[in-house]
Amino acid sequence: MNWNCTNTVERLSDYLDGALGSAEALAFPEHAAGCANCTQLVAQVSGLVARMHQIPPVQEPAGLVETIIAATLGPRKRQSASAGSLGWLSTIWQPRFAMGVVTVAASFVIIFQAVAGISGKVELNPANLFHVANRQVHLTYARSTKFVNDLRVVYEIQSRLTSPPESMSEPSPAPSSEPQPKDPPPSSDPREKSQATPHRDHHESCAAANVELAFLLTDSAAAPENLSDFALRRLP
Amino acid sequence: MEQDAQLVQLCVRGDGASWEELVRRHARRVHNLCYRFTGNSTAAEDLSQEVFLRVFRTLPSYQPAQGAFPTWLTSVTRNLLVDHYRRTRRDRLTDSIDDEATAPQIKDKRSTARTPDKLAEDSELSAQLQDGLAKLSPDLREAVILRDLQGLDYGAIRTVLQVPEGTVKSRINRGRIELARILNEMGVRPA
Repeated sequence: MNWNCTNTVERLSDYLDGALGSAEALAFPEHAAGCANCTQLVAQVSGLVARMHQIPPVQEPAGLVETIIAATLGPRKRQSASAGSLGWLSTIWQPRFAMGVVTVAASFVIIFQAVAGISGKVELNPANLFHVANRQVHLTYARSTKFVNDLRVVYEIQSRLTSPPESMSEPSPAPSSEPQPKDPPPSSDPREKSQATPHRDHHESCAAANVELAFLLTDSAAAPENLSDFALRRLP
Repeated sequence: MEQDAQLVQLCVRGDGASWEELVRRHARRVHNLCYRFTGNSTAAEDLSQEVFLRVFRTLPSYQPAQGAFPTWLTSVTRNLLVDHYRRTRRDRLTDSIDDEATAPQIKDKRSTARTPDKLAEDSELSAQLQDGLAKLSPDLREAVILRDLQGLDYGAIRTVLQVPEGTVKSRINRGRIELARILNEMGVRPA
């Protein structure tokens, strides 16, 4: 085979990669051995290729893989991997979760104590819970009603003892400096007349108040009909 | 190869662990290709991230019948490298004057820092090779990198570069000869 320097240059990589045919594979080294330029070229290129195959790959920057994972899957992936078996603790330490747990626990303590305090033992039967709760509501309502009634009595006594006689005799809540007319306007309704009449006499008014106090301090159910009407009318 | 195909299938179904494994298996290869082509560590890191972001988005479109996953991954990387090369062309033209002034100093510094340590020798050769690759035209550079540094066969390189196999062979051959000449001029002796 007629081999020249151009052939060597063109087929150099085929020779190095072992891709030459059998006749070419014989002619290539034969020519190169007798040609100084080709010998140098083959030595340089084969040396370069051999060294390139030996060069270890460049180390990638630290954190490159983690950055890519975080950019594609999100940062949660790395957190779960680094937290390990104690990763669930971070969930519990969230303020919202802890507050919820404390609230629920406190609610149970209050319910159990209320049930135990009333029935003497803890009954978790729903019917029992309902009865206890129903009884508690009614007792609370009765107590508050009695408290309001007692307050009304106390305020009534207080106002009777501290107010001047003029204001006591005035039925209207707003005090008026105008003198009362000597004669009330004529009225055809006997009830109006009967309401206005006691206010005109101070002594009569005081006596009625005493009766009323006596009534309020006793049981209201036992009060006579007329006194009850009178007391209701005088109360604010 | 089969492991890659399985991992890709699991990734497409939404398995995060398989994606992480796939990234770990190929991150170094992608980063090396980017670094050898650009010669810039920061650009290589950014491009590597960009490659995997694109792969993550386009993984469902990958068809194993078209080629092995590493070949497809190399094609994605190469396309982004071409885009990057075109984007930074103007910057390279303005920087070339500064490079001529500083290059001899770097060369001298490296030649005085020679040590018998194998790692240092590899590192020095790697740096010299990088300088030589930077002087090659992009067509020849990518052909040599894919063949001699990435270890791809001619068929895979043809798929990646989308050129006939004769062109692939020609570019690899011319690239090797040109790189050897450049390194010889730089004073790098062949082994």
